[in-house]
Amino acid sequence: MDCRAALMSIEAKADGLLPREEETGLAGHLDGCPTCAAEDAAISATGPALRALTGIRAVEKAPALDAMWTRVRAGIEESREARRRSSWIARWAWIPAVGLAVLALLFYPARTDRSPFHPSSFDVAVEDVESDVATVALVDKGEDLPRVIWIIEDA
Amino acid sequence: MLSAASRKYPGIRALVLLLLLLLAAVPSEAADTVIVDVGAVYASNEGTSIDPALGTIRGKLHSMFNYTSYRMLDRKRRSLSVGEAGEFELPGRRTMRATPLPAHRDKVRLSIQISDGPRNLLTTTLGLRRGGMVLVGGPSHQAGVLILIISAE
Repeated sequence: MDCRAALMSIEAKADGLLPREEETGLAGHLDGCPTCAAEDAAISATGPALRALTGIRAVEKAPALDAMWTRVRAGIEESREARRRSSWIARWAWIPAVGLAVLALLFYPARTDRSPFHPSSFDVAVEDVESDVATVALVDKGEDLPRVIWIIEDA
Repeated sequence: MLSAASRKYPGIRALVLLLLLLLAAVPSEAADTVIVDVGAVYASNEGTSIDPALGTIRGKLHSMFNYTSYRMLDRKRRSLSVGEAGEFELPGRRTMRATPLPAHRDKVRLSIQISDGPRNLLTTTLGLRRGGMVLVGGPSHQAGVLILIISAE
């Protein structure tokens, strides 16, 4: 094994990708090559240090990541709930609409509401009046009182 | 925006359509349409009660006539076009026929005919303002008389 192949094997070993059958060849080369042995030692020391550093950063950032994930989860739930609500409204909106329609059809066209009498005027002109079987009298007691047509049935 | 919302929510589209139908269903009170309201009141000296359904007319009836009791027996309301005759059944097999006649602006002219079976009790033509009222009374009923409250809008 030459130094170039040894260097690639050293990097592969640091990444944990070196095949077991090549480990013996690499060890043999490192025994006889101080340069490659020094490189192997340096790279082997760097890997665990990086892993340790990454682990420390992960532990440091964990609370912030947890908080962010909580916010993301809450946002997802909120948007799901909003979709559920709007689809519920759309699904059932016809019920109050039909109720309104029924009420309107019951009350408006027939115009049979029984609100008490509240006349706005008693100003009435009697253009003509007659009866075949009764005497008819017109009674006018002033502008504030309604005019009365009184039918006196003949005996 | 509304069309996009209605595509997304068909229920809302149905609601809007129904509201439009409701608006169309509400009868418009055109100038050539008259709403005739007829209340039949039984006036007598039996008791001293005055029907609350008579509204502001209660006090006026009390001050105009010498009866102690006023009770609304029936009330009917009809929307009639000019020239259209409306029949109102009255207590005691009597009937009233009201026909709106052509009139100017806020005035209403009504041809009224009250019959007791084949007998013509009253034929009259009235001119009144929209919202105005006239009373027709006298026909005997039980121990008292009938008073008709006729108003037109």
